Amino acid sequence: MWREMLQALPYILGGIGYTLGVTVVALTVGLVIGVLLALLRVYGGRAAQNFAAGYVVLLRGFPSIIVLFIIYYMLAALIDLPPFLAGCVALGVCSSAYQAEIFRGALQSVSPGQMMAARALGMSHRQAIITVILPQAFRNAIAGWSNEAAIVVKDSSLVYVVGLPELLRRAQQVAARLYAPFLIFTVTAIIYFLLTFATNRLLGWLERKTRIPQMVAAR
Amino acid sequence: MNHWKIGSLFLVLALLLTAMVGCKSEPANDWERVQKAGKLVVGTSADYPPFEFMNDNDEFDGFDVKLMEEVGKQLGLEIVWQDIGFDGLIGALQTGKIDAVIAAMSATPERDEEVDFTQPYYIGKDAVLVAAGSGIVINQKEDLAGKIIGVQTGTIQDDWVTENLPDDEIHRYERAEQAILDLKSGRVDVVALDYFVASAFAGQGGVEVALETTFSSEHMSIAVPEGSQELQAQLDQAITNLQNSGFIEELGKQYLSGE
Repeated sequence: MWREMLQALPYILGGIGYTLGVTVVALTVGLVIGVLLALLRVYGGRAAQNFAAGYVVLLRGFPSIIVLFIIYYMLAALIDLPPFLAGCVALGVCSSAYQAEIFRGALQSVSPGQMMAARALGMSHRQAIITVILPQAFRNAIAGWSNEAAIVVKDSSLVYVVGLPELLRRAQQVAARLYAPFLIFTVTAIIYFLLTFATNRLLGWLERKTRIPQMVAAR
Repeated sequence: MNHWKIGSLFLVLALLLTAMVGCKSEPANDWERVQKAGKLVVGTSADYPPFEFMNDNDEFDGFDVKLMEEVGKQLGLEIVWQDIGFDGLIGALQTGKIDAVIAAMSATPERDEEVDFTQPYYIGKDAVLVAAGSGIVINQKEDLAGKIIGVQTGTIQDDWVTENLPDDEIHRYERAEQAILDLKSGRVDVVALDYFVASAFAGQGGVEVALETTFSSEHMSIAVPEGSQELQAQLDQAITNLQNSGFIEELGKQYLSGE
């Protein structure tokens, strides 16, 4: 059994490409939409705030797999996305709702004095947001964001429903062929653990690297 | 946010979706389109040995797979495989993501309303599995009454137990192998599934075939989108040829007979 498992391992590991590909693109899609929503929510007018809030409420309420079904199957008549893109967009859109809240919290945690100081120096409102508030907010967001990254790594397994042979689906196929679900799924769990562990270490490193020494000392 | 605002958001979304589902891709002569492309995109669920699985060369393999590839040869089409979970196959077919489905799928009346089926290429039988050494004796289907029974969701066995047994005695699983795990651990008393899939599991030990039966004679067919008459006729013809030439029987011996 171990020998067959080892023989099948390269095939299972080949699924990591899809897993990481979907994760990275979905997180990026989610980041772009999420930051925009957070900005609308915090600095936008009433309508923009309502829109951002509604988006978050709605999409947090839908299971990712149904959003994926909608985008891949139901919208097929309008835009025929290939499976990989459909998976990235669906998971990205779902993730954006969570990321919007992460960044809203991060924006609001920057002290109001920062904005006042920037304006007093003659910066425009927009300039202040871009050059003073956002850089600090991004730093604040990293810890919460690494949670979301770990979740998306595992949610990426959902794309098997549109036919992408990612890590978990390959493990299912091999488990079915070898009649060894315990062994195969244990190995797969370890692989997922390593992926999320590496992701979080990377983000931890980014957090330390971008830390503003004086701000930490002040706490 | 006000309630009416959330309400109207949902309304808009629902309307949008219905509009989109309404304009589903037309099956404007699938056969012509497929012929022009020179390939047939076939969906299956490669977690169901010996009918469909990934072999150790990481290729699609199994009774259905080899049959479909021979059908492709007959029709002069290249077969492009898509591995999709069993539950998602009909949806993928309806939305034009794939041209056909071969997945040990029986042409049940419910499915027939959603898609069209070719003539059966194989008439299967069913089996009831028990845990080895459990002492549970099943001599006929009626003996299943009062047992906790496991089935794979959406299968013909699922249909039969749903019809004939109380719901709280049925455990449904996404994949056959999950049902077998629960059989081994004692969460279910018996598992009903395709005979050949069952004997393959029995060959791995831990479970044994208690009863060989037919729940509602499994007529395995290839599914095509609703209204794809030309494509369906071509596939029917190929199946008839392969039945007459003895190819399907040979394939059955190779993949399904014995262990």
